[in-house]
Amino acid sequence: MNNAELIVSNKAVSELSKHRPLRRYLNKLRWLSLCLVFAMLIILPLLSVYQTYVASHGYRLLSPSGKHFYDVMQFFTSPFTDDPANSLDAVKGSTWSGNFFGFKISDPLAVLGQIAAAAAIYPAFLITALTPILFSVLFGRFYCGWICPATLLYELNTNLAVWLQKLGFRPGHREFARYLKYFVLMVCLVVSALTGTVVVAVIYPPAIIGRELYYALALGGFGAGTVFFMLTLLFDILVARRGFCRYLCPGGALYSLLGRYRLLRIQRQVQQCNDCAKCNAVCEFGLNPMRDDFGQECNNCCACIAICPTDALIFSTRVTDISSQGAGHLGPKYRKLHLANTNNICDEDAKA
Amino acid sequence: MIRFPDRLILKNWRRGSKRSSHVELGRDGGAPPSLRSGVMNRRKFLFTMLASTVVAETVNPVTASAGAVYSRQRYLRPPGAVASDPFLARCIRCGQCAEVCPNESINYFGLGNGLAAMGTPYIIPREQACVLCMKCGEVCPTGALQSISRTRESILEKVRMGRARVDESLCLSFQGNTCGVCARACPLGKVALQVGYLEQPHVQAGCVGCGLCERICIQMPQAIRIIPNYA
Repeated sequence: MNNAELIVSNKAVSELSKHRPLRRYLNKLRWLSLCLVFAMLIILPLLSVYQTYVASHGYRLLSPSGKHFYDVMQFFTSPFTDDPANSLDAVKGSTWSGNFFGFKISDPLAVLGQIAAAAAIYPAFLITALTPILFSVLFGRFYCGWICPATLLYELNTNLAVWLQKLGFRPGHREFARYLKYFVLMVCLVVSALTGTVVVAVIYPPAIIGRELYYALALGGFGAGTVFFMLTLLFDILVARRGFCRYLCPGGALYSLLGRYRLLRIQRQVQQCNDCAKCNAVCEFGLNPMRDDFGQECNNCCACIAICPTDALIFSTRVTDISSQGAGHLGPKYRKLHLANTNNICDEDAKA
Repeated sequence: MIRFPDRLILKNWRRGSKRSSHVELGRDGGAPPSLRSGVMNRRKFLFTMLASTVVAETVNPVTASAGAVYSRQRYLRPPGAVASDPFLARCIRCGQCAEVCPNESINYFGLGNGLAAMGTPYIIPREQACVLCMKCGEVCPTGALQSISRTRESILEKVRMGRARVDESLCLSFQGNTCGVCARACPLGKVALQVGYLEQPHVQAGCVGCGLCERICIQMPQAIRIIPNYA
């Protein structure tokens, strides 16, 4: 290879990296979003404690650590507000149900659970879930991938499982029927209706995390929910990868149903695909992007887009998947089937 | 943290003891039906305990919470709370009421009060009483805590957390010493708690059960306490 050729190829490589499509960075953006939500769940209880300190007008009565905490919180909040005791009430709650500058947002599962438990609809509460419902109808199970505070921990848990595997421990890779979570959702609603209490609040990981973080930071101590959540983490490591989200989560089931005919979905461009199956390996929900099997359970997490070496996965605005497009055109299987024939034709042409 | 030995006194109630006369649960309409009957023999008691531990605590929220009323602790729901059954059905355990509470009065049940009540808010007035700021009802998304405006009229009309009762055998003013601390702590004044001779407190119909009198009582154990209203 002479110098000129080398320069050209280097240029080609740099061109390629320069034109890396933006959608490949969405997975990083998603991690940022997850981290921000989680940070919010940590900051809000601290703000709440600070507010009670301010409201009590008793700085000198605080313990030394309390004074230190007060000073730190004052340092961070004073640029934004002169009246922390009242104005910091603007943002409260968790992803389960929260108040964002007077705009109340609740998880649709909370509304459904409440309707089942009370056998009645409270319109004021139903309205708070309309925004998430609308977003789920448009973007599918995006809550699971982009917002859910449990997802952050579950994905870190998956990474932990990978490290454990490197150390010689074998994490569980069992597979169950995916419709199991719809069954769980149904059972939760039936039990809610029978007992008259919102059962989903007790077993839904994001609700548990929002609550438990508050207990831990503001009230000092973990509740029973932490034990339950630890068990789900263990389940994910020992039994099935992302097992709780894939097979058991009632919220995931509800979001899947809402997003069945979502408008924005990931789609494979069969011409670009080389059948490397990296997307299947990386998919947290055990779907099959390489053979167009996204279905209603895809959470638009973009991990497959980020890893695809040929940029074959794109976003499209369709109501259904394009199913079974067959082997990727850059892959060996497709070449064996089709390109072999064209070669033969060429040979015949040459003979003629 | 000081806890009044509720259990001992409640045990006397169950036996129909004469000593129970100083604090009566039933007449306020706030007590669970099982207590209202007054006398409770040992067999009935054992049966109730068995039922509430084995079946009710895990399955039936009504019995579970009622069981907790006399077996564990006396607690109040935050102001504006709807009645017990719809409360459990409406509350989604989001935790926002305690997050806005400026007085750190609101706490949450763990598993100790039955699975059905897990994560629901409560107030122990002797530990930290409600200051009737009404922020919790404002922030509650579900209507488990009704939104009540922070005016004297609407608080008097709508808040029904419980009702104060004075134990005259413990109250200093009834023992010949002038105290009157509870009446000074009361945010609602004469309509709720009136003082008479030697500043003896007399609970009036306007009492909403915020618990500030119980919190401030200088006697140990406290001579005035809130009888919760779960109905």
